[in-house]
Amino acid sequence: MIEAGHFAAFLALILSFFQAGQGLMGQRRAAGLSAIVAFGAMTFSFVTLIVAFATSDFSVQLVAANSHTLKPFVYKIAGTWGNHEGSMALWCLVGIGFGAVAAKLLATGRPTFEARALGVQGLLNGGALLYLLLASSPFTRLDPAPLQGAGLNPLLQDPALAAHPPMLYLGYVGYSFVFALAAAGLIEGRIDRVWARTARLWALAAFVPLTLGIALGSYWAYYELGWGGWWFWDPVENASLMPWLIGAALLHSVIVTEKRGSFGVWTALLAVLAFCFSMLGAFLVRSGVLTSVHAFAVDPLRGSLLLAGLLVFGGAALILFALRAGKLEAGPNWTTGSREGALMGNNLVLIVATATVLLGTLFPLIAEAAGQTMSVGEPYFNLTFTPIMSLALIALPIVQAWSWGKAALSSLWKWGAAFAGIVAVFWLAGIGPFDIPLLAGIGLAIAVWLIAGAAMEIWRRAKTARRLGKMPARVWGMTLAHAGLGFFVLGAVLETSGRAHTTIALQEGQATSVAGWQLTLDDVESIEGPNWYAERATLTARRGGTVAELQPHKRFYPAAQMPTTETAIHKTGLADLYVALGDGRRNTQGETRWTFEVFLNPFIDLIYLGTILIGLGAFLSMFGRKTKVKEAEA
Amino acid sequence: MKAILTSLILLFAAEGPLADPQEEARAQDLMREIRCVACENEPISNSGSDIAADMRERVRAMVAEGQSNQEIRTWFAERYGDFVLFRPPSRGIGGFLLWGAPFVFLLAGSLLAFAISRNRRPSDRVEAVAPEDSE
Repeated sequence: MIEAGHFAAFLALILSFFQAGQGLMGQRRAAGLSAIVAFGAMTFSFVTLIVAFATSDFSVQLVAANSHTLKPFVYKIAGTWGNHEGSMALWCLVGIGFGAVAAKLLATGRPTFEARALGVQGLLNGGALLYLLLASSPFTRLDPAPLQGAGLNPLLQDPALAAHPPMLYLGYVGYSFVFALAAAGLIEGRIDRVWARTARLWALAAFVPLTLGIALGSYWAYYELGWGGWWFWDPVENASLMPWLIGAALLHSVIVTEKRGSFGVWTALLAVLAFCFSMLGAFLVRSGVLTSVHAFAVDPLRGSLLLAGLLVFGGAALILFALRAGKLEAGPNWTTGSREGALMGNNLVLIVATATVLLGTLFPLIAEAAGQTMSVGEPYFNLTFTPIMSLALIALPIVQAWSWGKAALSSLWKWGAAFAGIVAVFWLAGIGPFDIPLLAGIGLAIAVWLIAGAAMEIWRRAKTARRLGKMPARVWGMTLAHAGLGFFVLGAVLETSGRAHTTIALQEGQATSVAGWQLTLDDVESIEGPNWYAERATLTARRGGTVAELQPHKRFYPAAQMPTTETAIHKTGLADLYVALGDGRRNTQGETRWTFEVFLNPFIDLIYLGTILIGLGAFLSMFGRKTKVKEAEA
Repeated sequence: MKAILTSLILLFAAEGPLADPQEEARAQDLMREIRCVACENEPISNSGSDIAADMRERVRAMVAEGQSNQEIRTWFAERYGDFVLFRPPSRGIGGFLLWGAPFVFLLAGSLLAFAISRNRRPSDRVEAVAPEDSE
């Protein structure tokens, strides 16, 4: 069975290169057809892997190394992509899937352009498949087959983390088709309004799952790691944030190209960079170069090949870009105080923010090469990334009403005064009845500013559109995403500045009060799951008339010889009461005291609500009436 | 099974927070920016390892003694190296590059953006279009 899958992947490789050849020669039909057949072959190949995992076929090396008969069925399936080889197979499947969907849906009226985009996509897919088959083959047999597998990393046996890789890869690999569109546009020498209309849709199609994938990963880290936080500026997190930031810049730049025909060069560069940063993310995470520089040496071939892929594809695109950039049309002129200027400001901030994340992530590596060891963590990003991003957030409600070309800036002082007023309110509240630090006050002011700004934008547009129902879906989408950004900032500021963390130690039957809650440890018992043992504490939490039962566990997975924390979270609507079970320690009297990490995380749900709104807003903006572009004018 | 779990049970008394909530908050802030030397990529505030617990006790003791945040950071950096600080020091060429680069990028980018846009005043031929009309 797995041999058939192996063969199908090989077939997909040949078809991808055939697609590349036909496409680059301008054969739209042949390229499209091979893209669709390649998708069929790769789907079959991936299904054989899933079947091997689902049936615990330990004669397949990958299954033996990453699965176990006692594992719950859903995690047997999710185990397919919960390892290096399987996740690379998923990468190939998603890339080929994007090519096939594009082959069906692309209708720009420019057949050679479409053929070339499919051709470049075929090259990218072919490269990924070569890497899969030569350096990370999931199809290797094991003889003799072991009776039992080694089990999936227990941290990954979780619903959010089962869905996280496919979502993230839909985003990462989705940008491969945006890259292909940019490369095809550059080959043709036409990065114009027709091009931008298509590129924008595909950029959104990648941005939406990337946003949700990052949110899933963050939510998982929040409840699974037991650290009480939702973002740790870990290199692996940064690796997914960078393509997201570039993707966000692209979504704003491509609008200028679509509506005005300007920024074409810049938009094409961002389209190329978005996928380069996705590949960089894959390289950083998959090579192990970041968690420890020495892990790189464990399998230098894989890391070097991923880096080579990044350099070859990224380099080729940049050379193409350098050859063509001068020949692209510039579009109508504009001043700094215009919608173009505003969107350029947005791009500037997002690019500088990306560069900051890149610098902070790679700096320890650079320092190590220079013979020093150092760490760059949360305090660095809080002092650089956060204030830089704040500039764009403060500007957003002001500049969103600016016209193309040249905006009337006479009311600028009113906007400035309005923002200063909101900051002053929070500042006065901070020194008065509420205990709000100044920086948190500014953060809250920005959040309120963004949400109010989104409401005002709807009101302003409604006045001109006369009826809300007549407003285009993309205006709703944009406003929803911007409001989502406001809710995200609100949650992030409230959670970060208001989080209370206490470590407590209790014997069975004892009680203590933490952050306004009375916590009683009822008992600690040993329980058994399908493939784990656990110590489970039962606590009763009381505050006023509210009574909640919390059962944090500490699991131990014998197959992997690894413990995990399963936190218990009680949602009050306004805050999460979050308890993680620590160690039990016996004192000299022979009594066992259990430690608990107790967090009160206010408004953390707003962070995820905001992120979902951003994703939903981006999704909505894909629909509605197309921007009319006359082919002659374009 | 019981053996594995009992092996998890250690023989130390649990560490306790400082009596003064303000001092405890300052200690917690510091614990979030000091890296556990035995772990992969965790601050000592999160780590369950024994050395992290020792380091937390050290932070609390130094806060209780009234040492400043900078004195405490310096003490840890001298003992374990700069590696231990998630807030990398700003001294030296490296520190200057790391902390200065984002703001230099922003400044240079702003100047560049301003230069590009000012050189291209709208010509008479293209009228300013309100965003509503272009939708």
